[in-house]
Amino acid sequence: MIFAAKKTFKGGVHPLENKHYTESCPIEPVPTPRQLVLPLVQHIGAPCKPLVQKKQTVALGEPIGRSDAYVSAPIHSPVNGVVKDIALASHPVIGRTTAVYLEAVPEENPPRIPQPQRFDEHFDPGTFTPEQICTAIQEAGLVGMGGAGFPTRVKIDPNPAMPKHTLIINGCECEPYITCDYRIMLEWTWQILAGIRLAARAAGCQTVRIGIEDNKPEAVKAFEQALSRCRCEEDIQVVVVKTKYPQGGERQLIRAVLGKQVPTGGIPPQIGVCVLNVATCAAIAEAVVFQKPLTHRVVTVTGRAIARPGNYYVPIGMSVQDLLAHCGGLTERAAKVVLGGPMMGFAIADLTTPLTKTCGALTVLTREDVTEPKYARQQTACIRCGRCLAVCPEGLNPTKIAHAVKHFRMDRAEQYYLSACIECGSCSYVCPAHIELAGYIKTGKLLKAREKKRLG
Amino acid sequence: MFSQIIVSPAPHTSQNLTTRRLMADVLIGLVPAMVASAVFFRFRAVLVIAVCVAACLLSEWICNRLRRKPNSLGDLSAAVTGVILAMSLPPAVPLSVAVIGSVFAIVIVKMLFGGLGNNVFNPAMAARAFLTASFGAAMTTWTVPATIDSAMPTVQASNVEAVTQATPLAWSKMALKGQATPEQVHAQLKDVFWGQVGGCIGETSAAALLLGGLYLLVRKTITCHIPLAVLLSAGIFAAVGRLLKPDVFVRPDFHLFGGGLMLGAFFIATDPVTAPLSVRGKWLFGIGVGLLIMLIRVVGEYPEGVMYAVLIMNAFTPLIDRLCHTAPVGGKPHV
Repeated sequence: MIFAAKKTFKGGVHPLENKHYTESCPIEPVPTPRQLVLPLVQHIGAPCKPLVQKKQTVALGEPIGRSDAYVSAPIHSPVNGVVKDIALASHPVIGRTTAVYLEAVPEENPPRIPQPQRFDEHFDPGTFTPEQICTAIQEAGLVGMGGAGFPTRVKIDPNPAMPKHTLIINGCECEPYITCDYRIMLEWTWQILAGIRLAARAAGCQTVRIGIEDNKPEAVKAFEQALSRCRCEEDIQVVVVKTKYPQGGERQLIRAVLGKQVPTGGIPPQIGVCVLNVATCAAIAEAVVFQKPLTHRVVTVTGRAIARPGNYYVPIGMSVQDLLAHCGGLTERAAKVVLGGPMMGFAIADLTTPLTKTCGALTVLTREDVTEPKYARQQTACIRCGRCLAVCPEGLNPTKIAHAVKHFRMDRAEQYYLSACIECGSCSYVCPAHIELAGYIKTGKLLKAREKKRLG
Repeated sequence: MFSQIIVSPAPHTSQNLTTRRLMADVLIGLVPAMVASAVFFRFRAVLVIAVCVAACLLSEWICNRLRRKPNSLGDLSAAVTGVILAMSLPPAVPLSVAVIGSVFAIVIVKMLFGGLGNNVFNPAMAARAFLTASFGAAMTTWTVPATIDSAMPTVQASNVEAVTQATPLAWSKMALKGQATPEQVHAQLKDVFWGQVGGCIGETSAAALLLGGLYLLVRKTITCHIPLAVLLSAGIFAAVGRLLKPDVFVRPDFHLFGGGLMLGAFFIATDPVTAPLSVRGKWLFGIGVGLLIMLIRVVGEYPEGVMYAVLIMNAFTPLIDRLCHTAPVGGKPHV
């Protein structure tokens, strides 16, 4: 029985999954839009500098932004087109940033169709050296596609000070609504597996565990069948974990799969672990085997206020409004447009905001989905019920941190381990007073960063 | 074009739970006890409850008006305070005393401290303590439930009038002082459980309180930690006493079902505002309440100790919160 042992972490919440909108929609290519906007920050680390000039023609896959810093990832053009401008553009996470505006003729740019059939059980990662794999990953501009956007090369690069022995593949997709990872696990199983084996080879990991929540038995089956056919069951195993949010959080997944705890403020390599998302693995396979840079990704467009929800293969840089138009547009009931899922995504007001490498979903919520007190932003007094403490997966005291931040007591906020927060939002989700606890904590982190900068 | 689109921090959805819903659940949980009180003390109980709730709501409304704050009656916390205060008053309490208690609870204990979420002490218990100090006689006159035909057969209480009578805990006190045997007291256990005894309006029927408490647990309005800690610590204390001195100590179940212990364990000590935040803190708080109740009952001069036990532990809540300030799951960060 694979579902007998429910591996998980302590805390967490059970929001409505709402995956039924899109879980049975196959991945569909999207026609190339006339304009693409590529922000020069799509990852954690140093921003890229533009490599192109206004009016310059660019080819599909040509780098248009790059940085010399180690922790960074280059950005490539998803189309054959012309650079129209280099100017500020809306960015879902950091507000505004410099971006390259590309103009493309749709007729010259047929929609790119994913080719998972090019991978099968005969794939041999041994034909690539670890150095080749790392370089290909860096050149392709790969970043963590689960949402954080940490440059993949930096994660995988072997570090003698912190040797990695276990690679954990994150196929949890614990965010409600989102199904992009689920669909690629079903449709691109061999491609993901090829990426996993390449990544394990490059990072020097002997054991691989694929963590999948128990609400995705089809994905579990797909991987187990594939693993038995390519005879790598010994090194690579599927681990079924409990369906709970935030099961797909890096620290939570490691806890569930290995029973080990990453130290507070530490990183997984400290305990010899590297975690990669399934979508990143699929991109690794393409990057290493076909030298294809990261220019497209699967995005789930979902929610009750969407006419045609689905999983779409979208060029990075496409604007939210173009994608929404392709899906039949917004209905009248739309109350919130969120880049990402409802728990950790970013609500946007400007629909010209482009999709980035880290954006796995476009969720459009209605007023009922948002719930009335949250929609009206009625925050009432904290009644000290302790629900936020009970659900915090990191064992923090969210109400104390939020109140400290509210009164600009950053010293007090840090006493309650402000920086240890993973910003999963479980505390805000359960709060009966509807206090934006996670919002206050994020503000606190920003204030702290600003203070640090000011003090030099 | 989409002017109704809003932007706010993640998460963008929430559990369908509000403070108002929590307080409404507490009120629903109190319904069995209110019905029981209406059965045992008839119209008088209903009247006292209604007066207390009305006085609490009105006081809160006036306070908000005076402080130019938005009306907060909708969160129902004032109604909960009113019901709990009424339940902890004797049925024969003069209505003026009930009103004074309600005003004290809301104005002094709750609103002057900053309203819901900021009060240090449980408003209903602090008001009851105030009334006990100010109107001693009115607060200790116990009417016999209307459903009883004659006085309790086994205990010859000093009061001969048919209208008043000693409470079960007063009997257990007498047993401690050698004025009655525990066995005589145990004869009332059945009546104590169902509520056919003298006592405060809402505390007599342990069965009704248990039913309501169970409802709160099932609805997850409260967690099991505080009630369990109170019941276990008080029960173990009573059991140890019974084992050591069976000739003066009554059985632990008599202590658990008698007096305000059930009301206290499920409805008063669990008031989230005045209890600690963390699970560990809740255990400590509950154990403290349970032990203090038993200490007051056994060693103290009063027959009942729920009120003072809760108030004393309320004062310890900030200290318990500080004591239970633990490191994150990943351990203390190395700075």
